[in-house]
Amino acid sequence: MKRRRWAGELFTGTLGLLITVGISFLIAIILIFLLSKQPLTTIYYFFVGPFTNKYYFGNMLNTAIPLVFTGLGIAVAFKSSVFNLGGEGQVYSGALVATVILLALPETSGYLGGPAALAVALATGAVLAGMSGFFKMKWGTDELISSFLISSAVIFIVNYFITGPLDDPGNSMLATRAVGKQYYFLGIFPPSKLDISAIFAIVAAVLVFFFMYYTHWGYEMRMCGLNREFSRYGGINVSTYVVLPMIISGALHGLAGGVAIMGTYHVAVKEFSYGMGWNGIAVALIAKNNPLGVLPAAVFFAYVDAGAKAAMLHSDVTFEIAAIVQSVIFYLITAQAIYSFLRRRKRSRP
Amino acid sequence: MYALAAPSVMGDGRLSQASYLQMRGITKTYPENDVLANNRVDFEVRENEIHAVVGENGAGKTTLMKILYGLEQPDSGRILLRGEEARIHSPLDANRLGIGMVHQHFRLIPEFTIAENVVLGIEPRRRGIFFDRERAVRGVEEVIRRYGFSIDPGLPVSRLTVGQMQLVEIIKILYREAQLLILDEPTSVLTEQQIHKLFETLEKLRSIGKTIVIITHKLGEVKAISQRVTVMRKGEVVAVRETAQVDERELSRLMVGKSVTFQFEREPVNRGRVVLELQNVVLRQKGQDRPLLDHVDLKVHAGEIVGVAGVSGNGLAELEDVIGGLRRVSQGKMLHDGRDITDLSVVQLRERGLAYVPADRLNRGSSLQSSVMENMIISSHHGFLQGGVFRQQAMEEFADTLTSSFSIDGDPRVPIGTLSGGNIQKVILARELASQTDFIIFSEPTWGLDVASAEFVYAKILEIRRRGIAVLLISSNLDEILALCDTLVVLYRGRVVASMSNEEKLSKELVGEYMMGLRDDGHGEAASSEGGPAEGEAP
Repeated sequence: MKRRRWAGELFTGTLGLLITVGISFLIAIILIFLLSKQPLTTIYYFFVGPFTNKYYFGNMLNTAIPLVFTGLGIAVAFKSSVFNLGGEGQVYSGALVATVILLALPETSGYLGGPAALAVALATGAVLAGMSGFFKMKWGTDELISSFLISSAVIFIVNYFITGPLDDPGNSMLATRAVGKQYYFLGIFPPSKLDISAIFAIVAAVLVFFFMYYTHWGYEMRMCGLNREFSRYGGINVSTYVVLPMIISGALHGLAGGVAIMGTYHVAVKEFSYGMGWNGIAVALIAKNNPLGVLPAAVFFAYVDAGAKAAMLHSDVTFEIAAIVQSVIFYLITAQAIYSFLRRRKRSRP
Repeated sequence: MYALAAPSVMGDGRLSQASYLQMRGITKTYPENDVLANNRVDFEVRENEIHAVVGENGAGKTTLMKILYGLEQPDSGRILLRGEEARIHSPLDANRLGIGMVHQHFRLIPEFTIAENVVLGIEPRRRGIFFDRERAVRGVEEVIRRYGFSIDPGLPVSRLTVGQMQLVEIIKILYREAQLLILDEPTSVLTEQQIHKLFETLEKLRSIGKTIVIITHKLGEVKAISQRVTVMRKGEVVAVRETAQVDERELSRLMVGKSVTFQFEREPVNRGRVVLELQNVVLRQKGQDRPLLDHVDLKVHAGEIVGVAGVSGNGLAELEDVIGGLRRVSQGKMLHDGRDITDLSVVQLRERGLAYVPADRLNRGSSLQSSVMENMIISSHHGFLQGGVFRQQAMEEFADTLTSSFSIDGDPRVPIGTLSGGNIQKVILARELASQTDFIIFSEPTWGLDVASAEFVYAKILEIRRRGIAVLLISSNLDEILALCDTLVVLYRGRVVASMSNEEKLSKELVGEYMMGLRDDGHGEAASSEGGPAEGEAP
């Protein structure tokens, strides 16, 4: 039953979204004509570039992986009408603790180190976001503000460890040592960086969808998200559902960090995860907080990013110009998504 | 009670007859729930008078005032100010025409000072963009002095008493040079002393030439403060009187109207054990001096319908919250089958057999964006779980069964918000009656429903009474209470002022007088003195 409704909702939403995408691409093309001396080449690489070879295509999908996790994290929180703006810090600290675990384990620990590192990354994110949820439950502190502030502080702490005690002197980068090769995720699309965590991301989206729509926690969470007064009246412990969505949201963010280390980066570079948290919000908004919708939304996001990179490599556009074109697309699409999100929220409050 | 001389004359000793405001043929329907809130209402206020507008809940008083203040647009009708056609499309128009309104719920920013609150929206500015705080303070001080108030405009609103906040609201509209002041139930949150103070203020304003309209439920206040009174009932004006020439009993009768007879017959009551009992329940709210529930005692037996009547703002909503488990009492006890349930959570209360049909059915009783099915399982969804996962089929069967047995016109898969008001209420009833219940609260169960839906609800209430369930019926609809209940309790200012058996058909007039605060049987001990044997006073 929910599937049918959900499908209809997705269709009307998607139509509006497609129009916005069309308009934003049009503006992007106009901008390229204004800013590039070889606009046709630029346009070609911007829009087709990511599909021209296996390397670009695989890397594009790889960029989408952490966005799926963070997008899911945000979708879970938004569905419950709680706000996690601390994604950046949660991803970054998840990545750091995963790296630390993997570096600290003796080589003999074999493959078990991987799951352990991911578990600790997940727990770190969960605790960081869960704190905001707990403060909200206990003292009514706005979780939107507290999650942002905690995250901002945590970023500096992680920076300290990466550039200080954990810095690898044998490397000119501000980065830790590389983790052991046995912990690298298996590549599945050489020569690109795409690895098996793509499958994890898909599984995660399906699991979150199932959790939200078929379990009683999901039901109670969604009910609290839509109408807290009704939920309280119906006997749902509403204060639980301030904390639980934050914990799940944080866990998914922490996981994003751990997966990024084991799959792609293998070292924790200073601020390497910048943007993964914020972009997760945009991804969730585009997906209308639907866990399965997060998959295409994240890929779309990665596509625009990959297009900008390809255009930079193959035509005369500079990093700045690519960034401008990219942001025009993101701003328009996010604005459209935010608009419909706010309208829905307004309707939910008579 | 309000020892005020109410001078109904102007400075020169003559009674003013000049018409200040005329509203002619005002009609307003709310299409959402098909309510005719105002039906060709004619309303007149004379210059320099205090004019009271009285009526039960939903009589259309507030709608009429909202139209006057530009918050609502009438479907038809005209407004004349001093004989001239006035077009009022927004509160800004109203302000420009010298009309100001003090709302029932204050619209103040606690962190701001009095002066900042008063000038909000029309702040004096320096060079066009900067807030001129000094001029604001001076301007507000000037208003305070001119009208002889004593309050420091530099105080933050958060430090004020409720009475003072109301004064700030009044200063706010005086600062905007209002000639006509509308006050919507200004006394509902005030203590006796604060009411006295307010009335002194209003009298003073009148004496210097302001015209005042005051909406109220309280007839004592009408007598104390007004020169003339308009009585409304069911969207129509039923009487306009000189206050001096009408007594409170007559006003009360005009307000409640004639008794309505229903088609059904109530079988004689067959009271079982005491299921629900309230002992000395007090509910206080921070920042309010008057308790919302004031030492309330109540007993509901199995197979009995106890009706709680009262005008809104007298503790009905609070009683509902407290028994429904949504608000903690400040003092006193609640018992279910003799066991203390005072501090139980909603889940625990529901496990013990509470069912509850709330007055606010669109926000508390349902989640409009969720499907009918999701609404039906809110308090029973644990029963559909198998290993933490919902058994979809069982849920759908449950929803289909309820839909057909309550003849709900709507697919269980669509959002409940797409259903009509009557069908939404049926979904709520179906859900609550499907649970294993032995005590149930109905709060305003037919408010805003069409006749057919209301009759369906009555039939259901009587059916569960036959099943030996204890029913608490909270309602401001007197006809419905008198037709259904076995025992009647009246709340006035949070206190039980009457508790009597409905065996021998109480008169609506008598109950109306209790509701309006004209009669008071006192604190339980005296409850048996009037209107029949008191309920539950036995041992």
